[in-house]
Amino acid sequence: MFELRRITKSFGGVHVLDDISIVLKPGDRVGLSGGNGTGKSTLINIATGFLAPSSGQILLDGHSLNDQPPWKYARAGIRRSFQTSRLVPTLTVRDQFRFETCDPARRRQLVAHSALEDVLDLFPFQVPLPVLRKIEVVRALLADPRVLFLDEPSAGLSGEELSAFARFLSRNVSGDAALLIVEHRQDLMRVLVDEIVTLESHVPSVATAGKPAEAVGDA
Amino acid sequence: MDFLQTSIDGLLFGSAYALLALGFSLIFGIMKRINLAYGSSLLFGGALAVWLEPIIGWGAVGVFLVTVLGAAFAGIYVERLCFSPHLGKTGVMASMIASFAIWMQLDEISSQLLPHRTHSFAGIDIEAVSFSGIILRGDQILHFWVAVVAIGALYWTLYRTRFGLLLRASADDPDTAYLLGGKVARLGMATFGLAGVLGGIAAFLILSSDGQITPHFGLWSTFKGLIAMMLGGVGSLPGAIVGGLLLGFAEAHVTFYLGAEFRDILTFGLLLLILVLRPGGLLGEAIYRTGRLAAERI
Amino acid sequence: MSLYVASTLTNVALISFLALSAYLVLVVGEVSFGQQAFFAIGAYVTATVTAIFGGHIILALFLSTIAGGLAALLLAALVIRLSGLYFAIASLCFAELLRLTLLRIRIPLEIDGRSTGMDGPEGFSNIRWIFENDFEVTDFLILTVVCLLALLLLLFYFERTTVMLRARLVGRDSLLAQSLGVRPDHYRMAFIGLSGMVAGFGGALFALFNTHIEPQMFGVMLGVHALAYTVIGGLGAPLGPLIGVGIDIGLLESIRALSEYRMIAFGGLVAVLLIIFPQGLLSPRAVNRLWGRIRRRDV
Repeated sequence: MFELRRITKSFGGVHVLDDISIVLKPGDRVGLSGGNGTGKSTLINIATGFLAPSSGQILLDGHSLNDQPPWKYARAGIRRSFQTSRLVPTLTVRDQFRFETCDPARRRQLVAHSALEDVLDLFPFQVPLPVLRKIEVVRALLADPRVLFLDEPSAGLSGEELSAFARFLSRNVSGDAALLIVEHRQDLMRVLVDEIVTLESHVPSVATAGKPAEAVGDA
Repeated sequence: MDFLQTSIDGLLFGSAYALLALGFSLIFGIMKRINLAYGSSLLFGGALAVWLEPIIGWGAVGVFLVTVLGAAFAGIYVERLCFSPHLGKTGVMASMIASFAIWMQLDEISSQLLPHRTHSFAGIDIEAVSFSGIILRGDQILHFWVAVVAIGALYWTLYRTRFGLLLRASADDPDTAYLLGGKVARLGMATFGLAGVLGGIAAFLILSSDGQITPHFGLWSTFKGLIAMMLGGVGSLPGAIVGGLLLGFAEAHVTFYLGAEFRDILTFGLLLLILVLRPGGLLGEAIYRTGRLAAERI
Repeated sequence: MSLYVASTLTNVALISFLALSAYLVLVVGEVSFGQQAFFAIGAYVTATVTAIFGGHIILALFLSTIAGGLAALLLAALVIRLSGLYFAIASLCFAELLRLTLLRIRIPLEIDGRSTGMDGPEGFSNIRWIFENDFEVTDFLILTVVCLLALLLLLFYFERTTVMLRARLVGRDSLLAQSLGVRPDHYRMAFIGLSGMVAGFGGALFALFNTHIEPQMFGVMLGVHALAYTVIGGLGAPLGPLIGVGIDIGLLESIRALSEYRMIAFGGLVAVLLIIFPQGLLSPRAVNRLWGRIRRRDV
């Protein structure tokens, strides 16, 4: 079980996150929404060890992960994608998947499910942005993560591609894994997510939780 | 008394180091690049001055002008060939190696200009001043004041002129400077030219105080400038001044108490120690990999 | 083969070891101005083992490699928190401190009526291993080239492993590496240590070939040259550094008309090459594209 407990973060004098608590249990599918500047990416950066919170605790199975370097988070099974896609520009797509030592059958399966076969021998700069995001998601999934944070993975996808992407996620994220996904697209949220956490701007920021239908219904 | 005399000698000499370090810091602060060819562009200025001296024949004034202009010209040449083609984030390595290559080239050209290896360099004769047992060499006092004026002029340029504003803006963010109307390409040339002028002045001061020039001066001044800058804090102008003075001070004392052969050992030892304990330099920020993680755009 | 050609080729091969060691550091994203230090350590260790203790060459090479590796690990442990310019300057300080210290150590010895041993600026003379074992210049060339080829094969094999892929990732994007569970500092330490071993081995052969070594041979110019060879050759494959060495020593030195102006030509050539090929001749992307063509492997 992964837990963010009473996380606050301020940059200089600006409070970005104020007293946020989130619990992710195996199998949870959580959407994180909120306007620009409400600290969605900051929250992911804190939850994966890339930023230290100003206060609050990050716990995995009750053990504190505070002050640990990001690679420890990753090895504990906490994986992420980046908001601006982050791939090695000199490697072909095929080689982007070779950092993880995982079962080749699993790798083949993921590539087939994500329909990436055609771009395997291309370099990132030859591949359109939405596909790059998908590559990142596949890369994160290769490690069979326990907790997966996706930062706007579907930006730029058309309606049809979006539903395919949602199917891909629900099919390939293991049932024991927790998924937290930052999204603007309510259609993806509706298909994928059981619960939506909304971050609000201004101090104090409040996290509201509710059923997707209710939260989205007002939007 | 010895201590006081040594300290004063060291600080006076350190003012020339400060100028060298300022040239480095200016380039690093604005371009975020290391110019390994810096010392050899100063050597080129000095060698050109020696070579042209019999032709121009204005004595020390001519030597001074040619040294400064030659160094500035070489600096701009280095910028055009090694730095402006490699502006992007991936160009750090390429520009550093290119500047190393041009270092070799300028050293070789200077060697051709100095066929006898060691050539005499126009000195300035000013009588030494002494009061209550402390002797101050006249030329070193002049050095000190020239350095003070040069630093003052640099600060005036950076903080009181529009050109300086553009330079400082482009240090923070090249895009902003562009919006302010600065042509970034020309700003790069101007930065290297300005650093060349500062370094050229330093080179003249050091060479005329030694009374001679050898092709070794390029490597020597690159090292001294780099070390003084790292001691004080990378990219910080006050840091460069403090680092230069500190280096002069420390060298004078080590030479006096331990002997000249320990001078360089101490210099490099001191720098390594500072890098291990406080890598940002004395006046710089403490830059560790972990600390920078947060600042980097994730 | 004329003596001149053989000794030029041997020098190319010897400097290639140093260039390959700079390459290993560059792979993990650091720039070292100090690889000559490990080269020097290897040279002095082999000189001591063979000329003073009459040890076997295998023992000498082994000890030199280990000593170079340990020294590199020491440097890495001291400055592992640093990166970029700071690491480069720290490695420079380390190497210069070592050189200045070697200048101060004087333990002259006389063995069989010949002066040998470390003698400060006079250097270490009469490393007579190649004479005692009747090695001609061409024999030594063959020995050096065989060792270099063995190292290259090892590196080529290594190149397509996950370890190397992760090391390159650490060098390119340390944050991304961490997000994939790769611990950057371990890779940095390991590769800097490896680079020290390669340089130490090369230094050992250098001492045997030259029969006389002195601290001034291991100045910063040597290290920065090795670095330059690697950058113009390209970081894509271990062949890159060798191409760089070949261009400078092999090509330019063989055009004797240039000899007086060699550095003027080399300097300009490197600067222009870098404008045309900013990533070096064998850039990682070019090499990976080639690999993709050659071997369409399974995912």
